[in-house]
Amino acid sequence: MAAIGAMQRSLEAAGYICERDLAATLLLMADLGRPLLVEGDPGVGKTEVAKALARTRDTSLIRLQCFEGLDVHHALYEWNYQRQLLAIRMAEAAGSSSLDEESLFSGAYLLKRPLLEALLHPTPAVLLIDEVDRADEAFEAFLLEVLSDYQVSIPEMGTIRAVSIPLVVLTSNATRELSDALRRRCLYHYLDSPSFAKELAILQLRLPEIGDRLGRQIVEVAQALRQQGLKKQPGIAETLDWAAALLGLGVSSLDEAGAERIQETLSTLLKTHEDVRAMEPVVLERLLALAG
Amino acid sequence: MGREGVTPGAAATARIAGFVSTLRENGFVIGVRENEDALILAETVGLAAKQPLRWGWRSLLCNRAEDWVRFDDLFDSYWMPPNRQALVETRAGGAGLIAVTDEAGSQAGRAGPVLQREDAEDDAGLPGDDTAKDGASAAPTLESADFRSLTDRLQTYAIETAIRSFARRLKRLRTRREQSRPHGARIDLRRTLRASIATGGSPQKLRFRAPRRVRPRLVLLLDVSRSMSLTSFFYLRVARALAIALGDVHVFLYHTHLTHVSEALSDPDPWRAQERLQLLSAGWAGGTRIGECLAAFNSQHAGRLVHARTAVIIASDGYDTGPAGVLGAEMTTLARRARRIVWFNPAKADPRYQPLARGMREALPFIDLLTAGNSLTALEAALSAILEVL
Repeated sequence: MAAIGAMQRSLEAAGYICERDLAATLLLMADLGRPLLVEGDPGVGKTEVAKALARTRDTSLIRLQCFEGLDVHHALYEWNYQRQLLAIRMAEAAGSSSLDEESLFSGAYLLKRPLLEALLHPTPAVLLIDEVDRADEAFEAFLLEVLSDYQVSIPEMGTIRAVSIPLVVLTSNATRELSDALRRRCLYHYLDSPSFAKELAILQLRLPEIGDRLGRQIVEVAQALRQQGLKKQPGIAETLDWAAALLGLGVSSLDEAGAERIQETLSTLLKTHEDVRAMEPVVLERLLALAG
Repeated sequence: MGREGVTPGAAATARIAGFVSTLRENGFVIGVRENEDALILAETVGLAAKQPLRWGWRSLLCNRAEDWVRFDDLFDSYWMPPNRQALVETRAGGAGLIAVTDEAGSQAGRAGPVLQREDAEDDAGLPGDDTAKDGASAAPTLESADFRSLTDRLQTYAIETAIRSFARRLKRLRTRREQSRPHGARIDLRRTLRASIATGGSPQKLRFRAPRRVRPRLVLLLDVSRSMSLTSFFYLRVARALAIALGDVHVFLYHTHLTHVSEALSDPDPWRAQERLQLLSAGWAGGTRIGECLAAFNSQHAGRLVHARTAVIIASDGYDTGPAGVLGAEMTTLARRARRIVWFNPAKADPRYQPLARGMREALPFIDLLTAGNSLTALEAALSAILEVL
């Protein structure tokens, strides 16, 4: 329990507020050497978990953003063809025979992509594989292989073993069902939308200059907005943006600022045309009244 | 994890193995490695530290949001001292569930006592709303339903014939989208160009695109509350025939809470299917909370199950005893995800039927097809209509 508390505090020092169960999971990740799969609604701070973890361990964060059509060359390595060609031309022009195939396919001509970079990092790095559900099944199978053996084979160079085992965090938005094999390999954590207290704590940590009253009102409105069935739910990042916008306008409390001025700042919270239209002045005033 | 606790002995190891097999029986996917890691974790944390152990195992043994939601209940029912466990039993008890024996170990906790949670907040209806509306009430009853008619021969044959032809037609449907494949009919220009960099721009290796095989999928949400008791068996039979004929059918029952029953339904042995359903049937024929059950479906299952070629079939009379507005909001979310929403309302069979129930009025704008679906002819018409758009 003491270790979990310490982890929670060091995460907080790194600017990330979390419940104790997540802190326990992050400790476990290092103990068992398993990747962590984080799921949850957009904007609940999935990606932020990896960033905070990297900060607490004082190591670098290597990020692989997944997309449809992602392949090995984007994720693992690629030969620097232009440089190879250049080297060949220069060797031809100089008439030297010092350039052989061995040196042409050496580390100097290898472009390291995130996965390889993480494996070759001298100290354990934090590898963030973001939105893994966007990549296709073939890549997922490849990823599974890398994550279970921590070694990769490059045909021209042979097998490369990991210098250090990275801490791997995968995030998913559940746009596609991930395979059971990958899920089983990973630890799992489901991030819920933040509670009132948690969101307020995050707001105060990130924007310390915010007043207690304004902070409470902002979180109150943000929490109420999530109950409105908007098309795009505002996440924590949106709440922070909104708070910063209000601070920038010199607002000290929502009820004094008045609905019109607040309406101008809502572009930080509402991200679709339908949501903006749904937020009529009457609705906004009711929300503000609730926030008191 | 810091604190050194009691190293699990042989007895404790067996108990942990029992817990893992309980989880497996409840649909968790757990391999041998995870089992070993669960033991290692118990060793480092110590069995006495319940809370860290719960968090650790939860992240280790859960694979998806669905598991995550159920884990705490399963953990409690297995590891809580007998007095607390008795509490859990009474909460869900009296519903014809299996009795938890003393040696809680391997067989105990088998789906039964844990799958249906009847929390206090589930029971609270709107004041004044719990007076029966045609038998719809907010109070979940604890009576266990009779599933014998599920395998009634005559009706089953007729349904299965209709479903088989539907399944054949469904399997012939093609998908329009394409994705990269090693072999295919069309050249994937972008990937071919990308691969040609290695050969100085001459495309020696061709990449192809082939049709993506996202099959059409059916999701059934069946209302089994008291007001639907006359027709819910028929719909359940339809669901069973569908689940057997097609692989990709997902069936949920709901009344005051939502239960996933696909696996139990598609059990090849009809008697065992009946038995397994009996276990899941707490609250069968009780009140209805359509809105909240849909909300649970949207948050826990929709992301995984509902895609652009999914038809969602909801069977309900629309008598909702939950708070107003919830159903409409959840239908908006569902309609955005699903290709088609078909609503089976048995009352529609009456030509004078007007959708006046509040639930029905809220849901109506999002429904693509409202039909009775309570007879074979109506069912065939509805299934054909689904096929046309999938």
